[in-house]
Amino acid sequence: MTDAPTCPNCGSATPEGTLFCENCGFSLGAPPTGETPLPVSLQGGVAPDASTPIDDVAPISAATHATGGTPPAPAASGRIPCRTCGGEVGPDGYCGQCGTKAPTERDHFREAPAAWVAGVCDRGIRHSRNEDAMALLASPTPGERAVLLVMDGVSNTDDSHIASLAGARAAIEVLRTPLPRGMGTPDSRIAAVTKVFADAVSAANDAVVATAPAGTPTPPSATFVCVVVEGSTLSFANVGDSRAYWLPDGAPGVQLSVDDSVAQQLIAAGTPRHQAETSAQAHAITKWLGRDARDIAPRVGTLDVSGPGWVLVCSDGLWNYASEPEALAEQVRASGATDPAALALALTDWANAQGGIDNITATLARLDGPVAGQDVVTAAQSVSDPNAETAAYPVVPQEETHG
Amino acid sequence: MADFTAAVYQNEFLPDGGTDVNAIVTVTCTGAGTAGQSGGGSAGEIIIVDTSGSMGPQTMAAAKQAAQAAIAEIVDGTWFAVVAGSDRAMLAYPQVSSGPGMVQADARTRQEATAAVGRFVGSGGTAISTWLDLAGTLFASVPEVTQRHAILLTDGENREQPGSLDSAIRRATGVFQCDCRGAGTDWQVEEIRRIAQALLGSVDIIPEPSQMQAQFQDMMRSSMARGVADAQLRVWTPQGAQVLFVRQVSPTVEDLTDRRVEVNPLTGAYPTGAWADEARDYHVAVRVAAKAIGQEQLAARVQLALGENVVTQALVKATWSNNSELTTRIDQQVAHYTGQTELASMIQEGLAAKAAGDEATATTKLGRAVQLAAETGNDEATSKLKKVVDITDEREGTVRLKAGIAKADEMALDTASTKTTRIKK
Repeated sequence: MTDAPTCPNCGSATPEGTLFCENCGFSLGAPPTGETPLPVSLQGGVAPDASTPIDDVAPISAATHATGGTPPAPAASGRIPCRTCGGEVGPDGYCGQCGTKAPTERDHFREAPAAWVAGVCDRGIRHSRNEDAMALLASPTPGERAVLLVMDGVSNTDDSHIASLAGARAAIEVLRTPLPRGMGTPDSRIAAVTKVFADAVSAANDAVVATAPAGTPTPPSATFVCVVVEGSTLSFANVGDSRAYWLPDGAPGVQLSVDDSVAQQLIAAGTPRHQAETSAQAHAITKWLGRDARDIAPRVGTLDVSGPGWVLVCSDGLWNYASEPEALAEQVRASGATDPAALALALTDWANAQGGIDNITATLARLDGPVAGQDVVTAAQSVSDPNAETAAYPVVPQEETHG
Repeated sequence: MADFTAAVYQNEFLPDGGTDVNAIVTVTCTGAGTAGQSGGGSAGEIIIVDTSGSMGPQTMAAAKQAAQAAIAEIVDGTWFAVVAGSDRAMLAYPQVSSGPGMVQADARTRQEATAAVGRFVGSGGTAISTWLDLAGTLFASVPEVTQRHAILLTDGENREQPGSLDSAIRRATGVFQCDCRGAGTDWQVEEIRRIAQALLGSVDIIPEPSQMQAQFQDMMRSSMARGVADAQLRVWTPQGAQVLFVRQVSPTVEDLTDRRVEVNPLTGAYPTGAWADEARDYHVAVRVAAKAIGQEQLAARVQLALGENVVTQALVKATWSNNSELTTRIDQQVAHYTGQTELASMIQEGLAAKAAGDEATATTKLGRAVQLAAETGNDEATSKLKKVVDITDEREGTVRLKAGIAKADEMALDTASTKTTRIKK
């Protein structure tokens, strides 16, 4: 490879070191098996000069997909079967039966760091690429410690699919070690946790900012939401409108995060939730990470839970179709899934079946915690007053474009 | 050492509910080498010369020279034979009555064949079906010949029971390729074109005996440069999809749609014959079930296969979009070749109408042909059309039929009707 590297999926130039193709989002991390187009040689002999023109006349339009030479050799693939018809996906990335494009690694990926923690991050249907990202950590012992982190790249900015993934991976590194306990008082503990989350958000922000050079007219930006499970304590933080929920078995669920969005402001001002969330500006967020962010301090809170249930951390691609905790709990029940990997997939499929107008991320941790007792919200606070903050700068909400 | 590559030209964006996907696939072969030298079997050439009584002395003399020039181009080791055709077919060389009906080319056999051609005498009628059948029998007599090519020269209309020629064409289809030439103006373009199209060859008129030698030399040289014996174009389409058509559109328009042979329920194979160093363009149109906005799917895999070995593949895609800026564009290549295909049929239909005495239809169709030739930059078609019609307005396609058209000009327009151009940079 003497020339500048190109994306094996779409052929665009890919600067050295990039993880995903900037054009199509194809993962460049590992070379795809056998996909490199090579001219085939039939019989022995000397290869002709490839630049020798065959024709003195040129094609009149540029090739939309030039595929040189041999189609990739059929590999004994570990490819996920076609998600539409269950057929075998060909080495060219399309189903051999129905032709549906198999999602690239960036467009659809799944993680399950432990049996009790899993997530699915999916492009959805309407968007051309997956700008959501997730990062998960979990101890092997169920219920011991887990980190569920979701970021949603804002779709009218450049390269937000790269930024969101880079951000999520940077932030989760900050959260690898147990959260501090503080001086023993709830207040000091929440202050210490808030500091760690602020560091995590800051790391995510640095990664998002680093994605694009200074002076980019529409630098990438993203939301942030994270839940750290440590035994029966859920600690959570968010910036923007990606959400965290606690959905206990047989009891009403609760939305842990509070959106930084115009819809949330409307709700706070008394507009009914449904009306607020379907208004024209519903998806305009008032805080975000990125080069043009003004305030990246997350809202932080903790919750001590007692019974069994699900921790759900998701992007708006899911909650668009089920915003109320009860509506989500209903879908959890409807899926019949008891395994987090199956449930994450079921919720993603359900959102796609509803139209999949946005990227969908669903991450889950299953807690089979101690019985009895009541969930106690120890503290839920925001570092900066949301009202003061929105008053502090003229409202230039980032609007997420859908479709 | 042949290398094949394929490239797709298409607008993959379909509007909401859109179903029809059009793409031009360019398949390019390099390093084809020489016929019969690839190790996959030997090449065979049969030269078929009309020796009916209608061949005048001048034409016959030219035909002999032309056949001899073609023999001189046959590469050593290539199996060959010469057939003299009248109301029956005669094996002029090698003069055998059993066993292999072809010999391998070397200095001696070429010299003997040249002498045999020199003894041609014109007599009898024209029964082309017998010529094709003998060629088929001769090829079959040498099983190691896997790349089979014939050159056929005639000067007159076929005089046989209706249907005889078509059955012979059917028997020859897929057995050998055949380039056809008509000498003078007493032969039927439509009849000879039927042979050439079925047998994956070219058709042309040789109006003057003096041009015959060069044409034969060219045909044989081109055939000897086809180092890839046989290739299939394969088109995979998704379950439930329908192949609307598969056409070769460059260098000539040849509709391959009905020549599909099933490889598996989702894949059809279309014959392409032997390949030299060349590029050919194919227009593939597929109807797929509409999907939701934002969905992408594969509409076709277009492959070139040598035997069972797929050597190159191009992907034709469909992506549904509600962005009308994307969905309303027509790919330049698709538009260009759609125009060129219509040009070919307008010329053929216009000339047929003229022959049937329907001057109004002829004028309309040839007018449209003039317009299309101008739009798609087919200068050769324009110059040939100008010999048949007077152009009043090229852009509007307003023409008048010329009075006293030379028959040769009309036939030249007809035989060249399927030739297409690419647009220069």
